[in-house]
Amino acid sequence: MAAPESVVSSRPSRFSAARLRMAARLILRALTAQGSRIGVAVGAILVGAAVISALTSLYLDISRKMSEELRAYGPNMILTPHASEDEDVAVRGVDIATVQAALDVLPADRRLGSTPFLYGMVRLPQGTAVLVGANMQGLRAISPYWQVEGGWVTADFDERNAMVGRRLADSLGLELGDTVPLRADAGTAPAEVTIKGIVETGEAEDDQIFVNLSLAQRLLNRPGQADLAMASLVAQGPEADALAAEVMKQVPALDVRPIRKVSQNDGEVLDRIDGLMALVAGIILVITTLCVNATLTAMVAERTPQIGLQKAIGASNRSIVGQVLTETAVIALIAGTLGLALGFVLAQGLGQAVFHAWVGFRPVVVPLTLGLCLGAALLAAILPVRGAVRVVPAQVLRGD
Amino acid sequence: MAPMDQLAVARTRDAADATPDARREVIGAEGLGRRFGTVEALVDVTFTVRQGDFLAIMGPSGSGKTTLLNILSLLDAPTSGSCRLDGIETATLSEADRVVIRREKVGLVFQTFHLIPYLSAVENVMLAQHYHSIADRDEAFAALERVGMGHRADHLPSQLSGGEQQRVCIARALINAPALILADEPTGNLDADNEARVMDLLDSLRHEGRTIVLVTHNPELGARADSILRLQHGRAV
Repeated sequence: MAAPESVVSSRPSRFSAARLRMAARLILRALTAQGSRIGVAVGAILVGAAVISALTSLYLDISRKMSEELRAYGPNMILTPHASEDEDVAVRGVDIATVQAALDVLPADRRLGSTPFLYGMVRLPQGTAVLVGANMQGLRAISPYWQVEGGWVTADFDERNAMVGRRLADSLGLELGDTVPLRADAGTAPAEVTIKGIVETGEAEDDQIFVNLSLAQRLLNRPGQADLAMASLVAQGPEADALAAEVMKQVPALDVRPIRKVSQNDGEVLDRIDGLMALVAGIILVITTLCVNATLTAMVAERTPQIGLQKAIGASNRSIVGQVLTETAVIALIAGTLGLALGFVLAQGLGQAVFHAWVGFRPVVVPLTLGLCLGAALLAAILPVRGAVRVVPAQVLRGD
Repeated sequence: MAPMDQLAVARTRDAADATPDARREVIGAEGLGRRFGTVEALVDVTFTVRQGDFLAIMGPSGSGKTTLLNILSLLDAPTSGSCRLDGIETATLSEADRVVIRREKVGLVFQTFHLIPYLSAVENVMLAQHYHSIADRDEAFAALERVGMGHRADHLPSQLSGGEQQRVCIARALINAPALILADEPTGNLDADNEARVMDLLDSLRHEGRTIVLVTHNPELGARADSILRLQHGRAV
């Protein structure tokens, strides 16, 4: 009787190509054989990934978008001549060149609009009014919330048109299209302007008349002068403080201050929204983890006889753990990738609905979302894996 | 001696020990016992199986056949006595070491086949190779050919009859050329024709010099073995 040939061989590396191929085949077959259960796990992770990636995309864009939205409430930085406490800056004013130098310090991509202001009193046939000279394009950029009947004075060189506050127009009987002479007590020649727009803000602007800065300088006899400037910036809190400090450092002739009423609110609102999104993302992750855990637990329970057999024919606990975790990782990465795509679409919908703007693609969202999905899925797999390790082949392989 | 060292010694002995008259010991059970709480499932069982033997373990339900088979296949450990498998003392091995020795030394044939349902016949055979060393489709196919299942290599277990599934199970047990083939009621779920085919297959393996331990209720099957170990209430009788 011939002795059987011993084929006991040294065990090859766990990472040899042939072993990896067989492991991949085993995992692929196992996944495709559990279609409906895998579908539930993929669905849970996909939804989680979609929400997380959408919220992350919004989170990364929201600071800018929220700042832009909040800019509708007016300028958030004011530049005034630097003066000691006993000096009357309102009388002294500041050179336009200095104001422009200061505004140039502010990063162009953070500056939504800016304009110098020059104030004075003018007389109209019907009475007196506060005259405000400004660059009209800049004024419009920092005052998007103004309700204007008629139209804006659109060109900075337009000295023939003006805008009048609603209360002033009502009190003086001014209407759109009226032409009125403006006369200052500065010994300068009067100027005639046509009322192109009537402004309603509910604040001081309702009692003022707005003309181009050049016209105001001529009427008030203050050529090249302004009293202050305002800017609307995409920046909040500490960032706005830093920008103000930088301007003052480079242009010491001016005091620059964020307007806290708006800047600080920006930061607080953004903090609350960021916190809310983090909370929602956290809850979604927990729900996803629980759902995946339930699905994996059921999958492992269904496969107990197969796991028992695999152990009986030589699979170590490490092999079984590796198989379950790899299957989980594959599910998570496939679902996470699909969720990323869905999340990007969802982010566009939210961006349009809330900010009326498209949300940009941020590469960092990809590893972040996939990492969170993978982490949640592997966390969910801990208990099922323990269940798989505890399978006792002798118990599950009984023939009865 | 560490289990892997014992394996190395056993391999060396394989080469040296080839004379029929001095056949090497494959199983050496001495005073084997297994207790579950207060229940003694196996009591003081002693026997030896040598290379090329065909041993049938017989006895009524509850006599300890499955308990003994689990110990021989290293799926369980005895609570008393010693059990050498191909020269390696297995009674005191850790679970992890038992896994290593099992995949090297034992081929298992089950009553209910236990094929992975989502793997084809050849992939089921390759799975045993995968855990033992490395999966080789050609070798797995040859093993299926050996049991007359080459033409059904790519079929799923659900597409095979009971007899065909059992032959795939035998091919899987043979693929790593184990020192011992343990068959637990291998014809228990088969009709008469398939029972005959499977037993003929085991006979041919025995004639090739394979060492086979068969657990069965069936006296006719038991009669085919070289020797019979009868168990009653956990004791050899």
